Amino acid sequence: MLSVDKVVKTYETVRAVDGLSFEARPGEIFGLIGPNGAGKSTTIRMIMNVIAPDEGTIRFDGKAFSEAMKERIGYLPEERGLNRKVKVIDTLVYLGVLKGLDPADARRRAESWLERFELSDWKGEKVEALSKGMAQKVQFIGSVAHDPDLVLFDEPFSGLDPVSQDTLLDAVLELKAKGKTILFSTHVMEQAERLCDRILLVRKGRELVSGPLAGLKSSYGTNSVQIEYDGDGSFIAGLPCVDGVRTMPRWIEASLADGHGSDELFSALSGRVRVRRFQLMEPSLHAMFVSLVESSGDAGTGVADEEAANA
Amino acid sequence: MRKLPAIIRYEFKLMAANKAFVILTILGPFLILAITVLPGLLSMNPKALSGGEPIAIAVSTDAPGGTAAMYAAFETAMSSQGRGVEPLPLDDEAIADAKRRVGSGKLAALVVLPAGWAESGATLYTKTGTDAVLYGTVERVVDALARESRIARSGVDPDVARDLARGVGLSIVKMSAGDREEEGGEGAFLQTLFTAMSFVMLVYMTTLLYGQMIGRSVVTEKTSKTVEIMLSSVSPRELMFGKILGLGLAGLLQYGVWVSLALVLSKLLMPLLGMAAPSAIAPGNLAWLVVFFVLAFFLYASLYAALGAAAEDEQHLGQLAWPVLAFLIVPLVMISSFVSNPDSPLSVGLSLFPMTSPIVMLIRVLIATPPAWQLATCLGLLVVSVYGAAAAAARIFRVGILMGGKRASFGEMVKWLRVR
Repeated sequence: MLSVDKVVKTYETVRAVDGLSFEARPGEIFGLIGPNGAGKSTTIRMIMNVIAPDEGTIRFDGKAFSEAMKERIGYLPEERGLNRKVKVIDTLVYLGVLKGLDPADARRRAESWLERFELSDWKGEKVEALSKGMAQKVQFIGSVAHDPDLVLFDEPFSGLDPVSQDTLLDAVLELKAKGKTILFSTHVMEQAERLCDRILLVRKGRELVSGPLAGLKSSYGTNSVQIEYDGDGSFIAGLPCVDGVRTMPRWIEASLADGHGSDELFSALSGRVRVRRFQLMEPSLHAMFVSLVESSGDAGTGVADEEAANA
Repeated sequence: MRKLPAIIRYEFKLMAANKAFVILTILGPFLILAITVLPGLLSMNPKALSGGEPIAIAVSTDAPGGTAAMYAAFETAMSSQGRGVEPLPLDDEAIADAKRRVGSGKLAALVVLPAGWAESGATLYTKTGTDAVLYGTVERVVDALARESRIARSGVDPDVARDLARGVGLSIVKMSAGDREEEGGEGAFLQTLFTAMSFVMLVYMTTLLYGQMIGRSVVTEKTSKTVEIMLSSVSPRELMFGKILGLGLAGLLQYGVWVSLALVLSKLLMPLLGMAAPSAIAPGNLAWLVVFFVLAFFLYASLYAALGAAAEDEQHLGQLAWPVLAFLIVPLVMISSFVSNPDSPLSVGLSLFPMTSPIVMLIRVLIATPPAWQLATCLGLLVVSVYGAAAAAARIFRVGILMGGKRASFGEMVKWLRVR
């Protein structure tokens, strides 16, 4: 188990991380979520013992971090970087050896992972010959081939095609099944929603909220319903059980008034429009983040821009 | 530091597989040979140095001993420079024509000795005005001839006069601290200067080359974020030391190839060419060359690594590297002053100051063995500076990678040293 306790890191005048605490447990995927510049990377660097926190402690399985513990950590950085002039297999063997494997073992593991990702034909090629997606898979292999107990993924899926995303996703879920502790850092809320068991939303180095994803959603959510229908639905906005309506091109999103259930709305619709889809929506992480930022009385979430840039 | 060997091996392989490295390793010895053998070859073939254009001499017919004797004296003196002598009649037309030929470079010089020249003086016409060797020779010949003519005029017995004018003859013997005597000679300064220059150029070029390579490698890793993966496995210090040692090993291999080839060539090839190997290329001096290369390399590699860690991109690295480069260039510019005065306070000072000491002390060692305490101080200071610079590089590196997209100043780099 990874325990981060009241960690603070200040660069000159900026408090990059300001009293963050969380625990990531074996067999679960913990999401460190927030816009760029929220302090995620600094936190990860402190976990990897690249820099020391100014205050607070970081422990793994109850022990303070040391250089030796780096062998139990796997790290996939946000920006991929491998030496372009080195052969794929040599790169992976080197990364393995740096994690304490002996060269023969490192080679064997690298080869079996390459096979799994259907990259065996490329092992003798230089990294520069690989496509972006292939290079990313190679880097993923580099971060997990030594069978680490704690894996840190920084934006593992960004820029990957859907097929590659699924391949990596399967591998991540397999690690989770094997009881590894997985820390997943991202600013893409949708990805966090798909993967994480528990999350910590960070902004400007501070915690906005943390906890199990499901529990957070039900406690922070505003209940809303997506309705696709044929007919004139203009009356819906005026219903007592409806708080407000957003009209989308192909459907509307109605938020329920406090104390009213979705069944009430559904029965109000029957007979007046022909319903093709009626779906109770959980609040998205995105919506949660926005509402949390708004309620903290601080304008400018930084998320909308980030996501637009990543769309 | 358990993984240090793996990092060293990786960086070494990366370097040794580099095409530029292989080419330089193979071409290096030929470069050294060219620089060290060239002066020797040139002294065997004086025309190559002087260009070999003849000089014209217009002499009045009242010359003592006749014009033929004068021409003979000039011919003997000029032969060492591979120049011929062209006799000219002393008339205006011939002289005007010869002046034109001097102007167009067909004649190296025109010497005019008018009637009564031994008292009133002679004139030398030349195009460049800078060929000191030529002027010196001509002056010696003219002076000697004038002396002869004055002796003849004074009626003193020529043998007595010559005996009075005879020089003593100064032989130069090099003394080292161990009371060892070495024959030196007139050629020693030039030969030592050439050897010192080639050694210094070698150290300078390789230090600069490897230093910049390390700097670039660090910047590239920093910008490509490879370094973050590395730091998730090893400490910044291990990574930094591994890089520097790995590249240093590659550099040593290169020097090993060079030195052994230089030894083989000077032992086998030079006798074939009928030349003695320059005494400065003795095994002892080659060992010093390697020692000072290693220390210079480690010092500058560490400094460049630190700058690479602070730089935003390669261009920025170039700007930051200026002050460092200046320290490498200073001893290069002052090399002949160090060769002439190896024990001057300036030479001693710069041979102790770590950033210039590898080059300056190398020059001093080549010329005359410096006092042991100076050598020891120089080496001690260098080793301490190397360790300090490498440790500082590791710290700057660690903080520098976190400060992506920021153009650090030297002040900021100093601040980074204190970050935990």
